[in-house]
Amino acid sequence: MSLALIVALPFLGAAIPGVAIHAGRNAAAILTGAITALALLLLLSHAPAVLRGELVQTRIDWLPALGLNATFFLDGLGLLFAGMILGIGLLIILYARFYLAKSDPMGQFYSYLLLFQGAMVGIVLSDNILLLLIFWELTSLSSFLLIGYWKHLPEGRQGARMALAVTGGGGLAMIAGMLILGNITGSYDLTVILQNKDLIQASPWYLPALILILLGAFTKSAQFPFHFWLPHAMAAPTPVSAYLHSATMVKAGLFLMARMWPVLAGTPEWFWIVATTGLVTMVMAAKIAFFKDDLKALLAFSTVSHLGLITMLLGFGTKAAATVAVFHIINHATFKAALFMSAGIVDHEAHTRDLSRLGGLRTLMPITFGIVTLASLSMAGIPPLNGFLSKELMLEEAAHTTWLTPWAMGLLATIGAAFSVAYSFRFLAHGFLGPVRDDYPHKPHDPGFGLWAAPAFLALLVVLIGLFPMLTAEWLVDVAAGAVTGEPVAVKIKHWHGLDTPALWMSLAAIGGGLLLLGSYPRLRAIWDAAPRPEAKRIFDGLIEPLATLARSVTEGLHNGNFGRALTLAVLTIAGVALWAFLGGAHAAGTRALLPIDPVVTGIWAVMLVAAAATPFLHRNRVTALLLTGIVGLLIAPLFVLFSAPDLALTQISVEVVTVLLMLLALHFLPKETPAESPVPRRVRDAAVAGIAGLGIGGLAYAIMTRQPAFDPISAFHLAQSKPGAGGTNAVNTIIVDFRGYDTYGEIIVLGIAALVIFALSETLLRNPEVTRLLATRPRDRESGDRHPMMLVVATRLLLPMAMLVGVYIYLRGHNMPGGGFVAGLVFAIAYLMQYMASGYEWSHARQRYDHHALIGWGVLVASLAGVGAWFFGLPFLTSGYEYVSLWPLEKFELATAAIFDLGVFLCVLGAVLLTLASLSRLALRTGERANTHAYDTEGGR
Amino acid sequence: MEALVAIAIGVLTAVGLYLMLRLRTFPVILGLTFLSYAVNLFIFVSGRLAENAAPIIGSSETYADPLPQALALTAIVISFGMTAVIMIMAIGGHLSSGHDRIDLGDDA
Amino acid sequence: MNHWIIAPVVLPAIVAALMVTLLRGHLALQRMASLAAILALNAVALALIWSAATNGPEAYFLGDWPAPFGITLMLDRLSALMVALLALLALISALYAIGSGWDAKGAHFHPLLMFLLMGIGGAFLTGDAFNLFVFFEVLLIASYGLMIHGGGSARTRAGIQYIAFNLVASSLFLFALALLYGVTGTLNMADLALKLPALPEGDTALLRVAAVMLILVFAIKGALVPLQFWLPGTYANAPGVVAAMFAVMTKIGAYAAIRFGTLVFPPDLPATGTVLVDLLRPAALVTLAVGAIGVLGAATLPRLAAFAGIASTGTVFVAISAFTPATVSAALYYTLHSTLATAALFLVADLVARRRAHVRLVDPAPIAQSGLIAALYMAAAIALAGMPPLSGFIGKLLILDAFRDQAPLVWTAILVSSFLMILGFARAGSQLFWKPAETDIAPDAPGPEPLAFAATFALLAALVALTVFAGPVTEALTTTAAGLFDAQAYIAANGLGATP
Repeated sequence: MSLALIVALPFLGAAIPGVAIHAGRNAAAILTGAITALALLLLLSHAPAVLRGELVQTRIDWLPALGLNATFFLDGLGLLFAGMILGIGLLIILYARFYLAKSDPMGQFYSYLLLFQGAMVGIVLSDNILLLLIFWELTSLSSFLLIGYWKHLPEGRQGARMALAVTGGGGLAMIAGMLILGNITGSYDLTVILQNKDLIQASPWYLPALILILLGAFTKSAQFPFHFWLPHAMAAPTPVSAYLHSATMVKAGLFLMARMWPVLAGTPEWFWIVATTGLVTMVMAAKIAFFKDDLKALLAFSTVSHLGLITMLLGFGTKAAATVAVFHIINHATFKAALFMSAGIVDHEAHTRDLSRLGGLRTLMPITFGIVTLASLSMAGIPPLNGFLSKELMLEEAAHTTWLTPWAMGLLATIGAAFSVAYSFRFLAHGFLGPVRDDYPHKPHDPGFGLWAAPAFLALLVVLIGLFPMLTAEWLVDVAAGAVTGEPVAVKIKHWHGLDTPALWMSLAAIGGGLLLLGSYPRLRAIWDAAPRPEAKRIFDGLIEPLATLARSVTEGLHNGNFGRALTLAVLTIAGVALWAFLGGAHAAGTRALLPIDPVVTGIWAVMLVAAAATPFLHRNRVTALLLTGIVGLLIAPLFVLFSAPDLALTQISVEVVTVLLMLLALHFLPKETPAESPVPRRVRDAAVAGIAGLGIGGLAYAIMTRQPAFDPISAFHLAQSKPGAGGTNAVNTIIVDFRGYDTYGEIIVLGIAALVIFALSETLLRNPEVTRLLATRPRDRESGDRHPMMLVVATRLLLPMAMLVGVYIYLRGHNMPGGGFVAGLVFAIAYLMQYMASGYEWSHARQRYDHHALIGWGVLVASLAGVGAWFFGLPFLTSGYEYVSLWPLEKFELATAAIFDLGVFLCVLGAVLLTLASLSRLALRTGERANTHAYDTEGGR
Repeated sequence: MEALVAIAIGVLTAVGLYLMLRLRTFPVILGLTFLSYAVNLFIFVSGRLAENAAPIIGSSETYADPLPQALALTAIVISFGMTAVIMIMAIGGHLSSGHDRIDLGDDA
Repeated sequence: MNHWIIAPVVLPAIVAALMVTLLRGHLALQRMASLAAILALNAVALALIWSAATNGPEAYFLGDWPAPFGITLMLDRLSALMVALLALLALISALYAIGSGWDAKGAHFHPLLMFLLMGIGGAFLTGDAFNLFVFFEVLLIASYGLMIHGGGSARTRAGIQYIAFNLVASSLFLFALALLYGVTGTLNMADLALKLPALPEGDTALLRVAAVMLILVFAIKGALVPLQFWLPGTYANAPGVVAAMFAVMTKIGAYAAIRFGTLVFPPDLPATGTVLVDLLRPAALVTLAVGAIGVLGAATLPRLAAFAGIASTGTVFVAISAFTPATVSAALYYTLHSTLATAALFLVADLVARRRAHVRLVDPAPIAQSGLIAALYMAAAIALAGMPPLSGFIGKLLILDAFRDQAPLVWTAILVSSFLMILGFARAGSQLFWKPAETDIAPDAPGPEPLAFAATFALLAALVALTVFAGPVTEALTTTAAGLFDAQAYIAANGLGATP
């Protein structure tokens, strides 16, 4: 449990500083420190066991199905890293308290810091690679926040984005790599995976997995060619840089390589990829660092260089080299963190980090000078400091490694070392030695104890480890290296290896060469400045920016709201896919006996087709187009009749009438002409697209009509049960109100919703002053100026009651004869529409006594309750019963509960049409129309 | 007979889609109406064609398949509601933007 | 006879009817009724989940007519799960709509919301192919009303396209259904599943056409490329809260595809075979890519959210398209996750849009209450980009793991798209929340809106819960997916085939 707690503590505590900051900056700092300290204590409580060589484990099942579990384990390596993360974390918290300005939101800073800390500890303690991946990406995210902490700085924002892109991207590659490892070994638990070296290295998936995982490690540890994000992350406040780039974030990659070392290392692939990358990174970065004027930039590249050094050592694949790597990880953390903090101090005091503007600080900032001297000499590898010990061992390993030639590795390592001597001394010389200047941006002097305490402590470690390595570090190196190599390690760290060791001469050469380089700095600098060199940021932006611009143009270009293109693509896709599917199956021609050609039908058919075919040519005059549409619609009705679908015919006619009338009214608000916009080629293309679809649908229709269904249609049951089961002779109606009454239930609700939507939109339009102004001022249309024909007015007055009677009749007979609530509702509605057409908006509007919303609502309620009623008989929704009733003078008819449902249909339909009508009228009333105000306002009326 | 009906369905579909490919809302709506004619006929004929066989029990000895007729009824009603809605929206679009183009252009 | 199965349809319908009759014009009362109904719906949904888990698939024979002659509702683990997801999202959306005052910006918001719930619930629960169409129309027409809620030129005109495109989809749906009935003579999905294996050789071509036409309808709902063009304009112009509610609508396409692909046209059906896989796999992969590129390229936050939604359905369909229990259960987990995550991002986008001078990502403008909103944005972005620690990461791991055998293609697609989305979200985020504005013309901040923020938090909390309880959730989903591939139980529940 407690291992999980060590990881959880920083996360749980992350909220605290945000709250504590209200109690002051000290409170926030102390609480943050307390959380970290507590985690550190918990960790140390396990140290004895680990040092005894035991494996501390915690397992909490999370997602067993996937093999993702909250399992943690602590071994030497984990102990070393967790110790560094939490220990240096404490120092950073102290340092940051005094570094950050009053204006900086410190609570936020500590929260981010704790999140990051938790993620780092999670990485190094995870026993499950999926869990490790989670923490891995969490470090990317939290470091994004830390690096972008000074959000007002553009470099900060860009640096943060770059770091996230590179390290997060690498993390994604690593996901794939880890999953492959899991597939090979059949488990995502590290402790299992680490047992399966042979299995993994024998697998054909070894190389892909290796490359993908190394992508993650290299990006995180800023290895060439992914090194460029790290210097740009320096826009972060110095405490962040000191933390991320000395002990934590960038060490995560090294940790991973060390963690996976037992199963991935030892192959030629590993050697060539890892050792080469490390070597190149070490030399290249050391060289760049030498020429950097910004203290933090210099340290950044030196960090990259040292990371390369450690990567190279891990790449050698030998136990000895791995041990040295572990040792150097410790040393680098100590002196690099101290140097970053010192650089921050200089920046803080002198208000500049530019070496060209510094110098002579030795006398002004003696304490800082002392710290920097120790740390930078250690970085240069000067005995007896700890940096010397590990570098000596590194050179020894390099000297004994054959890379291309037996001596190339040793030579390049020495060159790298020489540059690192050079930039270390330059840091010291150009920053602190030399004469005191009088042009510092701000008069520098040593800061308060709070700011230099942390680096001083680290400098002390540098010395102690340097003087008494066997006492201070050896035991830790042993357990950690033991964990890496999988075998007990007992390293002997000495200052003097004797004259016959190549390392001695290599370090001497390095120091000499370094001093030489520093001596000839001005000349070299001139060459350097003259030489063209690729600027990493420019390359990165050169990749990302065009990508983003491309994405922008593709996205917004494709999805620019061009309806025609979208529809064309859709139609062609559907047609193409349908054809592809059709050709993939077997098709037998239909065997059904066909109907003889009927002259009447053919006549109607011909007229309908002519009207339809004419529409595309005449559609620009919208009234004409609407009339043609109406003709086609009306002509479909007789077809229905002749093909034995009277109900369809009735519905088709009534719906068609209402539709056309509504569209006519709507046309009142729209232009009467459609401008000729599309050029001929486009029309031809559209015609072709439409034609393809038409062919397809026509073909399908023919294929259906000419064959028998594969199985007996379920409608046989409906015909058989219509009378006995549903109590109606009209099978279509019994299906509508009974067998499939639920469809109808949905259908009328669709109508009701339609009306509500129409009402809501008209409301919104009327609330829009812009629209109402437009309405009031739009030119009066000729049509609307007409007077109402007297005949029509009178006719409609008479029509209304008759229509209603017809409606009632249609409603009542519906169950047995063609008709029903729906058609009845429409008939009623048409009667009203006629009034409206004849006598104008205002008159009809004034006479719509009852609220149409209520009609719709009651319709839905009645229909629903008719359905729910069945529950009380223990029957499902919409179960109907019926009884025969004879009601003079009507023919004997049967009253089914379905009739109640049908009543709901009737109400809903009527309400829907009337509400639509009313909404249109309300709009129309706002138009400049002054005619048609009086009911009998007919020709010659006045 | 079947061939004629099939042709009619095809033509109605094609006319509908052609009108929908115009650049203004009104022809698009007319196109949708044509398309729904085609759809309703198509549903109807999925019950096959039959003459003098209205599915009124007792009215004849063979009955046309009533189910597709019922489905077509539902479809007709629904498309009626949809047409009404898109109609008022066309009005709204025209009134609030001053034109009745179907493409969104800038305000995509 | 378990009447609760019909409740998710009847309850909202009746409440909506009451709203337009008795409660018309009383916003406060409508809000209460709305919340009460949705809370009840949540309770019903939980009851249904429990019932489906204990009793297995259960049919509800409307009008007491036996299948396949009447219409049957079908309750199984999947439909219950989807109803629960719907109910949860509805609760949060309603709270947000009330908290942000969106529901006062036009008439009939709550009745339309009720009808939307009715339509979606009906679509999830129906066992009848044609009835599925009817309820698609119910939910669509309600969505039209909600989409243009509040009006405005751009919104209304985007709405016209939305309707027009969906009407084409509806026509396609009807063509497909008529074709299906013309060939098989039945509409009940279980009946189809029962009969199709015996389909005569000569009819397979037509059946395959019907099958792909149906799947294309669902692909349009799910906005699969190249049928996605309607989505960005619609979602980006819809009111933020409505767009959030719509996050579940693309998943209806996914649901229907799963249902038909496992029950009616399963991979082992000789007539259709792998046609669904061959059709959906490439489309889904391209959709994922288009969505991810859109996240990087979108010009406004609402559009970015829309493309994130496209990417998420793309991911879901990638997982579906294999039609194996493992991938389908991964798809279900990702459906739950991405629905909530997309909704969250839309709500955040709305919070921003109402506090910022303009919606464009370039040329920064100040945002009121930006600190809190930035945090919400980051959480939603992390979830949608599939970064840890939120459920998106687990969802992607599940999918990657389920596709070990097609690793190179599917893994690359999913991981690369995640990368593009990380870039896009980071860019947009630093543009919106970090880059200092030259101008300081902030629109008058609409006040604290505690309820709106609480609703957004609730979504993210749900994501956290989905992460923490990933174990039990995936366990349940595995059973659900397994049940989908056991068509016999579903058919038997309809009283068809060999009686159990």
